[in-house]
Amino acid sequence: MTGCPDVILSTRTRYRRMAARWAIILVIIFAIFIISGLIDITALGSFATAGMFLVYFAINWFYGTFMETYFNGRTVGKWACGIRVIDIDGRPITGKRALIRNLLRLADMLPPVALTSIFQDMPMIFMVVMIPTGMVALIVMVATPRLQRLGDLAARTMVIVDERTWRLPVAKVDDARVPALASFVPADYRISQSMARTLAIYAERRHFLTPARRREVARHLTIPLVEQFEFRSDIDPDLLMYALYYKTFLTDGSETPDLGPLAGYSPLLRDVNKPQGLAGDAAQQAKIKAGPAAEKSTANRFDFLNTEGSR
Amino acid sequence: MNVAKLLDKRRVQWSELENLCDAMEKSGRTDKAGGVHHRGAEGVTRFSSLYRAACADLALADAYHLPPGTVTYLHRLVARAHNQLYRANKFEPSRLTEVLFHEAPQQIFADPCVRIATIVFFGLFALSMFMAWNEDLFPKFADSMVGTEQLEQMEEMYEKPLVGSLDHYVSMSGFYIMHNTGIGLQCFAYGILIIPCLYNLAYNALTLGTVFGYMARPDAVGGDNFYHFVTAHGPFELTAIALAAAAGLRLGVGLFYTNGLARIDSLHASAMRAVPVMVASAVLFCLAAFTEGFLSPSPAPYIVKAVWAILSSGLISFYFVILGFPRGELAVIHPPRTSSGAHDAA
Repeated sequence: MTGCPDVILSTRTRYRRMAARWAIILVIIFAIFIISGLIDITALGSFATAGMFLVYFAINWFYGTFMETYFNGRTVGKWACGIRVIDIDGRPITGKRALIRNLLRLADMLPPVALTSIFQDMPMIFMVVMIPTGMVALIVMVATPRLQRLGDLAARTMVIVDERTWRLPVAKVDDARVPALASFVPADYRISQSMARTLAIYAERRHFLTPARRREVARHLTIPLVEQFEFRSDIDPDLLMYALYYKTFLTDGSETPDLGPLAGYSPLLRDVNKPQGLAGDAAQQAKIKAGPAAEKSTANRFDFLNTEGSR
Repeated sequence: MNVAKLLDKRRVQWSELENLCDAMEKSGRTDKAGGVHHRGAEGVTRFSSLYRAACADLALADAYHLPPGTVTYLHRLVARAHNQLYRANKFEPSRLTEVLFHEAPQQIFADPCVRIATIVFFGLFALSMFMAWNEDLFPKFADSMVGTEQLEQMEEMYEKPLVGSLDHYVSMSGFYIMHNTGIGLQCFAYGILIIPCLYNLAYNALTLGTVFGYMARPDAVGGDNFYHFVTAHGPFELTAIALAAAAGLRLGVGLFYTNGLARIDSLHASAMRAVPVMVASAVLFCLAAFTEGFLSPSPAPYIVKAVWAILSSGLISFYFVILGFPRGELAVIHPPRTSSGAHDAA
């Protein structure tokens, strides 16, 4: 009925794509481990050894700076997670800022904990293995509104989620009762901005709720509206919300909907006692008019009313 | 207002922009987006006009009471296109000389943090050197500072006179660049928290000073060889450590001494000032590493090494004082109190 399944699908493909990226990265890392394990670097001569030290130094300290500068704010890990670094003004990151935020990572990762202080029975050789806990970064991130760490604060950058393709959610209405009910909403009813927003959110999310829960949620908003529109009080709140959504977002306001077999029905309070206003009566008439084929649509008509009425 | 119709109308252009974004993300060009009018310069023009249209749609979205889902979609679309249109600024190698020979020395000369770091480092260095050397007054100092085992190891290391081969020199200078510059960068990074930086600086000063003092004792084994080794690269390396710490302290001090700016703006301004100093320090570390790799372990006569040490000290002094002497541009380095917003030299 709406774009919701599309959204779920795109989230699913998004995760699938992310998993694929991680798989690629893990395979490459594994390959690098194997290859570097097979090479005896000292046998290649002193320049290779010096080169190895320099490459290690460069990767250790400047990998993030280089990648973020030349790949538009992303490292391989950021690419795999679908995130990106930008300036807090929304401009792309510059080399200098990338340098600052990546050098200061070391301070953000403080304090380190020695492996031997966690596992007492480990051999002392593991004392040199320090595990960075990142507590400084965590505390600073919790305390700042943009979830920046110290390096981000100093460089005025932030990390954002880099959204990729995402389907546009427009809820479509294929319920015949909705235009019918919408036609009874007074023409002078001006919808407020916050109401429009609420309606859109409601229409997007009602699929995740059970019918009973929908009525419960919608009733809070529809009780004053039912009075204002002079509708009968046992009208289905969910349907009324949906009709308002339809009127706000999906019609031009000028056209009169083709009501079809629902033409005789009115939800207005003053029509309660009129013969065609009674749902049962209308059903009888429709049956007479359209024969057994209209059975399904007459069943719909009953749903105009909240069958659980006073609950 | 029929939003669905409006969206259907605009959606054609939005999905075209999405396609262009996809192509841009994959190859950095618009050529593969499909249409004939997406090739070359035409594609770029099309991309930017679609981007502007999407920006306008986003601006109107609230006025049109568009559903929040649509507004969110537009936000994401505009952000995505924006990230492709305005890409990260790269480093400019031509600016490096400007940074190294103008900004850095000016900053070093004007920054009180450099003075503090230098006094802390060389003060503690000289103090511990004296205390380790003077066995009569402080008999246990060297052993308790560095440890007896380490001192013996040190003596053993420098027992034999220096001999070396080119192979050894090359690989060792690589190692020194990695190791010592790493210490400097660590000092810089810890500077934002001040105390770890000062601890690191003091630790290095005390350890080095103690070893220097101990080796200067007349009865130390291998003392001559030790000084033979360290003299040449000493000036570069010790200055570089102090400078790295000074750049780091500038960051930390920026958090407290805000100069009228908001705290975070001040931190950012300090970071921008600290980067040239850090770059200068890294260059000094590399010079020190090459000296340490090639000249220091070579069996060249001591006089050569001493001359190199004096020469390098002279170069550093020239760099700090002559190039660093204020040239009426202090207003840029010290922002006046009335100014607001960060000074972004990037």
